[in-house]
Amino acid sequence: MAVLSQARALSSRARSQRVAGAGVWATSREAFWIALEALRAHKLRSFLTLLGVVIATTTLIVVMSIVNGMNVYIATKIANLGSNTFVLHQFKWAQGYDEMLKALRRNKPIRMEDYKYLQESLIGYEAISAISQLQPGPQARYQGHSIDEVTLIGVTASHAIIGREKALYGRYISDQDDRRSAHVCFIGQDIVDKLFPMVDPIGKELNVGGHTFNVIGVADKVGSAFGISQDNFVFIPMGAFRNLYMPNLELMVFIKAPDSRHMMELEDEVRVLMRARRHVPYHDDDPFGINASETLMAAWRNLTGSIFAVTIGIVAVFMVVGGIVIMNIMLASVTERTHEIGIRKSLGARRRDIMLQFVIESAVMASVGGIVGVALAILIAWVVRAFFTASVPLSGVLIGVGLSSAVGLFFGIYPANKAAKLQPIEALRMEN
Amino acid sequence: MASQVETSSVLDRQAPPEEVLIRTEELWKTYDMGAAAVQALCGVTFDILRGEYVAIMGPSGSGKSTLMNLVGCLDTPSSGKYWLNARLVSELTDDELAYIRNKEIGFVFQTFNLLARATALHNVELPLIYNGTPSKEREEKASEALNMVELGDRMYHKPSELSGGQRQRVAIARALVNNPSLILADEPTGNLDTATGDEIMNLFDRLHESGNTIVLVTHEHDIAARAHRIIHIRDGKIDRDERIK
Repeated sequence: MAVLSQARALSSRARSQRVAGAGVWATSREAFWIALEALRAHKLRSFLTLLGVVIATTTLIVVMSIVNGMNVYIATKIANLGSNTFVLHQFKWAQGYDEMLKALRRNKPIRMEDYKYLQESLIGYEAISAISQLQPGPQARYQGHSIDEVTLIGVTASHAIIGREKALYGRYISDQDDRRSAHVCFIGQDIVDKLFPMVDPIGKELNVGGHTFNVIGVADKVGSAFGISQDNFVFIPMGAFRNLYMPNLELMVFIKAPDSRHMMELEDEVRVLMRARRHVPYHDDDPFGINASETLMAAWRNLTGSIFAVTIGIVAVFMVVGGIVIMNIMLASVTERTHEIGIRKSLGARRRDIMLQFVIESAVMASVGGIVGVALAILIAWVVRAFFTASVPLSGVLIGVGLSSAVGLFFGIYPANKAAKLQPIEALRMEN
Repeated sequence: MASQVETSSVLDRQAPPEEVLIRTEELWKTYDMGAAAVQALCGVTFDILRGEYVAIMGPSGSGKSTLMNLVGCLDTPSSGKYWLNARLVSELTDDELAYIRNKEIGFVFQTFNLLARATALHNVELPLIYNGTPSKEREEKASEALNMVELGDRMYHKPSELSGGQRQRVAIARALVNNPSLILADEPTGNLDTATGDEIMNLFDRLHESGNTIVLVTHEHDIAARAHRIIHIRDGKIDRDERIK
């Protein structure tokens, strides 16, 4: 007969295990509503409790949104040399200020002879052009109007193919202008707006730094980057630029490949030609820089990495603080509800049922914090977009909510375990 | 292998027959109060058969509450043996005890012990939640139990919206919902006026008539007189065990 009762006990235990899933679901659902109810009932307390998690989530998502927005911004506005185009310059860009100074001391500038040499020797490019900029920019005047500083650039005619500045009306600088060192200029929209507000600028005499140029063309609007207009330029033929401003030209040479596949080959070809020309020993670094959009993007990604490292640090601190506050509140809640735990235990709740209830309550609470944080971040991103750039990535939302519920789960374990370990009779005795 | 057979045969000899629902053997409970150890129970031995209606009576401090906690598997004895439904429960683990409380015992407390935030229906559903009854079946069983205590029309009321007698009836419905082997009531009328108390006791009478085993802990004579047998406890020992009906 004992065998019989043992068998019965075994089968009933098997049954209790078989239906455990349903119990877990019911307990979770109950804990979910209890958590929401508790948040609703104590609004101020909940706000203070969840502040850490909210700030952490908001910080994380705002940073992710701005970086995400900047990625596009940088790619289109800053690191955009034109498709399949790279630039030979005295130094490699975006390597930091010290590196730049070192390169300026060590490397010789790119000269007109270098440009001509590449133009002759390089094979397979679609276009090659050279530009040179006067630093600092001179003043520009037309009749009563003036601009204190314009970007004055000498260009070869071939830059029309490569540069972002396309003629809106009039014409670009031609080979002939260049050969004759003609005093003509091709101007940006800002110059038109400020110096020729009421008149057609074509054919007018523009004074730049004491020399006059005949306006032959106006460029379409390029736009601005980081709030700095890129339309405040005067392009003049390279020959005139050399004669009037910079007898010993220092150049940037733009090379456009027919497609992305040939760009790497061309870069290598330029490197080999220039190293040979400068007699660089085998193991020395390049005494010049070959810059592509990718160079700038890499520098940006490098910066992004640092931003994220700092952000992760800050978010981790907030999350831990937020988690500890939640743990504290959960401990208080366990004490407040000791009698309830006793009732539940008297009705057959096992340790894991009580554990689950409090862990879920903690996780739900933290998730609510996460969701509030996400909402706040979306709002902030929306405000930021009004004057800058931000775009909330879905991954950020998922990470934000996921991370906060994980924090809730983790910091709920200790209080939940404390609740689960209560002896039923002692818990029941605790009246409240 | 041989020793295993031997152990189980020892258990066989000790295990009570089928008709005995509760058997205690030399139950001791000692509370360690710092310097002094308090003997709450000093070797209590009795049997309760299936279908019995027993009152455990004694003055306060007699150890009757301690006994009830042990019988209800809310606490474990310091020494001694306790069989419930032919299972030796004095040696079970926490989770196994929880399972016994869930399936074998229905509690009715003096202070009702309902969850204040939950509706009557949800309170009655709780024991079913902890044994994993699917939600539809759970609701059916819980409303059936509430109908049995004539609270079918108060299912969605919270305890604060119910009278004392109604609250105790919700608690009784909750005790019954898992169809336990034993209903264990601790001063069930202690917080009720006489008329309401009578109603509740009539309900216990009806439950007994329909075959439930009831153990009632009380210090009131007229409440104890409703039972068929009274076990008097004094100073942690059985003083008198009398059959009155």
